[in-house]
Amino acid sequence: MNSVGEGCTDLKREYDQCFNRWFAEKFLKGDRSGDPCTEMFKKYQHCVQKAIKEKDIPIDGVEFMGPNKDKP
Amino acid sequence: MYYFLSPGTPHSHPWETVTKAAMQKYPNPMNPGVVGVDVLNRHVDTQGRLCSNRLLSTEWGLPSLAKTLIGITRTNTYIQENSVVDPKEKTFELQSSNISCTNIVSVDEKLTYRPHPQDPQKTILTQEALISVKGISLSSYLEGLMAKTISANAGKGREAMEWVIRRLNTEIEELAATAQATIRIPMAAAVTEK
Repeated sequence: MNSVGEGCTDLKREYDQCFNRWFAEKFLKGDRSGDPCTEMFKKYQHCVQKAIKEKDIPIDGVEFMGPNKDKP
Repeated sequence: MYYFLSPGTPHSHPWETVTKAAMQKYPNPMNPGVVGVDVLNRHVDTQGRLCSNRLLSTEWGLPSLAKTLIGITRTNTYIQENSVVDPKEKTFELQSSNISCTNIVSVDEKLTYRPHPQDPQKTILTQEALISVKGISLSSYLEGLMAKTISANAGKGREAMEWVIRRLNTEIEELAATAQATIRIPMAAAVTEK
């Protein structure tokens, strides 16, 4: 599956692979240990955010900074 | 406004299997219009539920004459989807709305996957859709048409899930076969080198 940003597809696939594994093997089994995919997600998210701005997609009320909202 | 609720034909797989597959639903051959899926945001909330916000990019492949008549300059339309997976309660709820063409039509859908109350090897899907076509006198006719399409597509949705579940099972089998082959190859090479 591709990303909305053509240049983001590789980052997306890397993140998806990490997430799908964590989701099936940890999260659904009640394992509350941390999400190992946060760094990958940040890179992927950064790319998608740019693509969405460039394509002028009317995203509704999304906070791109996630739970850690501290930015200088 | 047209409200449609599917009766929830059970999927013949346990809730965890269906949830894993639903999370990886695209691409699949029954939904060729979905060409992109992106996660915009995702976190686990204080109740241990996974909350995701996703963007679906769709491409309708309209012939160019149709595009000219309708006045569409881009062929991509977009849907925003919010979902919550509760691993304790065993619910997977998805809500989606179109964010393109909102001046013409609104399609809001809500899907909920839960274990079958009598059979844990089965999963029930309930599907609701609210459709609103704006500013056209034929709106109730068009809304009815869209509701019929969504109803027909409910069966397609089950097919799509079965396809994804089969694909995931095949990947597991292939991995196991590759692992076996990797053990055999060095042994064969060692034998032939003599």
